[in-house]
Amino acid sequence: MTSAKSDEAEGEEPAAPAAPADRRERARPRRRAVGRRGGGWWPYVFLAPWFVGLFGLTVYPMLDSLYLSFTDFDLLTPARWIGARNYTHMFSDDPVFWDSVHATLLYVVVSVPLKLALALGVAILLNRPLKGIGVYRAAFYLPSLLGGAVAMAIVWRQVFGGDGLFNDLLGWFGIKGQDWISSPDTSIYTLILLAVWQFGTPMVIFLAGLKQLPKDVYEAAAIDGAGTVTRFFRITLPLLTPIVFFNLVLQIIDGFKTFTPAYVVSNGTGGPLNSTMLYSLYLYKKGFTDLQMGYASALAWVLFLVIAGFTAVNFVAGRYWVHYDD
Amino acid sequence: MGHRISRRTLFRTVSGLAAAGALGPALTACAGGTGAGSAGGDLTMTWWGSDERHAAYKKALAVFRKSNPTIRIETRYSGYDGYFDKFNTQVAGGSAPDLLQMDTALVAQYARKGILAPLDSYVGKSLDLTGFSTTLLAAGTVDGKLYGVPSGIGVNQLTVNRSGLEKLGLKLPDREWTWNDLKNIAVDVHKKSGGRIHGVDDGGGSALQCFEIFAREKGQPFFSADGTKLGFTADTLTEWWEFWAGMRKDQASPPPAITSAAHNDLTKNAVVIGKALFTFDSGVYGAGGAITDVQLDFLPTPQGGFAGAREGNFVNGGVLLSATKASKRVADSVKIMDFFAQDTTAIKDMQLQRGIPPTQKARSLISAGLSETDKRNMATADYISRRVAKATDALPAPVPPPQGADRIRDLLFQSNLAVAFGRKTIKAQASEFFDQAQNILAG
Repeated sequence: MTSAKSDEAEGEEPAAPAAPADRRERARPRRRAVGRRGGGWWPYVFLAPWFVGLFGLTVYPMLDSLYLSFTDFDLLTPARWIGARNYTHMFSDDPVFWDSVHATLLYVVVSVPLKLALALGVAILLNRPLKGIGVYRAAFYLPSLLGGAVAMAIVWRQVFGGDGLFNDLLGWFGIKGQDWISSPDTSIYTLILLAVWQFGTPMVIFLAGLKQLPKDVYEAAAIDGAGTVTRFFRITLPLLTPIVFFNLVLQIIDGFKTFTPAYVVSNGTGGPLNSTMLYSLYLYKKGFTDLQMGYASALAWVLFLVIAGFTAVNFVAGRYWVHYDD
Repeated sequence: MGHRISRRTLFRTVSGLAAAGALGPALTACAGGTGAGSAGGDLTMTWWGSDERHAAYKKALAVFRKSNPTIRIETRYSGYDGYFDKFNTQVAGGSAPDLLQMDTALVAQYARKGILAPLDSYVGKSLDLTGFSTTLLAAGTVDGKLYGVPSGIGVNQLTVNRSGLEKLGLKLPDREWTWNDLKNIAVDVHKKSGGRIHGVDDGGGSALQCFEIFAREKGQPFFSADGTKLGFTADTLTEWWEFWAGMRKDQASPPPAITSAAHNDLTKNAVVIGKALFTFDSGVYGAGGAITDVQLDFLPTPQGGFAGAREGNFVNGGVLLSATKASKRVADSVKIMDFFAQDTTAIKDMQLQRGIPPTQKARSLISAGLSETDKRNMATADYISRRVAKATDALPAPVPPPQGADRIRDLLFQSNLAVAFGRKTIKAQASEFFDQAQNILAG
């Protein structure tokens, strides 16, 4: 939605006097009406609500948080400027910060590839003309609708707790389980599993991409005797790389900002031993529990830069493995 | 195909926007102004507690409304978890409640930040504190001014599953018991239950309920008198963790996964899930689980058993009722505080929901209507407070905890867990604990 609007905003800037004849030929009726009144500011009047939102709810708060990241703001008393101390403290003597970086990287690096692989695999399985395929697609998408919810995280806590369903299941095979949530070695993997289980969104996008793959290429390959595996690696995957890339970028960003499952599964503690202290959870705890809002703002900006960095690297690396048609 | 997804510009815009959308909340969540206070309309009152406490408050407030029809009260309540996160946000957003239940451990922090209203000018006029002892009022007093009215006497007690003990053929220990007695009975529980049940939940990381008392028995407060340093030594902490390491080794205390799960969650408490019979956590009864139909009893925290041991217990004020400074309804809030402090029906409605009532008058008012469990709870609290009053070698009651105190308590919990999970040696963890705690106190 917002993207469309911003495009229009840019597009309508020259609606002012310059080159009216040329514009009128191509413009849609709405634009012509604007031009006839000759008021260059009318578009802005109609856009004003959106600008109020952009500046009031996004730009100003972001700049404010940049300022706060250089203060000792504690939410309750006025902020004092302390220079870069929040940033130096973060990197030099905050062990929990590093715990949270470790947990977050582990979470992203393990969950994103697994999730994408699963999404692609299921998408390929669902991309055939079976009876009632719509029902299957809906069923596989369902976890994504539920997964982000607090209720699902609570269920997860029960399932992987010491007396949870998962241990009951293991018990059938004579395996003695443990409390997966409360052990620092396994707790993060319960969160990863929860993330991977919500593969529905990338799956739907993969499915849309698969549907558009050209059939003639496959036919030609089949005539040349290419098997299923060869066709997948030589045709499907290369043609699908833009979609893989799109999903990868989105999932990495999503992974870095995961908050709800970590908060709920660890009961707001990030424990045991900070093993589920995902970055956003730490940021929240610093700001709203420990009243170090200045520090939390600094954490937010570091996260912003890290995500921007990862995304930039993704785009650069993408040049080498993403194939576009044009 | 391909046409749509090969348009890199569009794609870039989309992911760029997604990135911005992703970060927007994280970055903007941190904005906010200061200032607080609700104008006219309803007086807002918040508290945390169990369902029983919610019901008791509401019942009492209904009575208050009848005699004060002009004061309309809007109540908001929840569990302790997240209560102060929410309060902080409300204060920052200018929508702080007028009247709130305050934690004695946090009152100093909020009072010094200028969030709470001093109440001294109301005392003796609209706020009748007859029968409140000075030591009790100290719980709500910061830098010489009263910022909260204590709800009752709070002492640290262990909750014991007495039925569970009797089933194993064990007897409730005497109130004058030592740490060694605790160890012995906890080992017995584990043996006699055939290894099914550990004795007592792991207290190694529990600051308020037990380590603070142990340190005071050694003549060391948790925080120094000026609140800028830790008051105990590394030796004390090392000895403490060694005691609990021994308890875990003997299976007298549960493994760290159980301790970790119970953090901030009473429903996972070792006694509640039936994995132990003694717990340092207060307020487990009412949590259901394995203690739904059992007889509970209460004991003071074990004392000494070593040379030179002093009285380590202390009395605090349960919870407090405080008014926010920015509120325009402080006078009305004080009326409600007075109502809870002195009104007969309010005292009867609240029973032990906010600790043992603060005055003799209140205690005699409720004693008839108490359940057996509540009676035992009150008797033990009474016993402890009398012993503290009699003791000649006890340290003065703890100073109002400095800023960051709650983070230090959490650090103690996490440190004990790191030792229990075998991640760190006791020695290394103790020195790390002191480093980090000093860091926190230095701000």
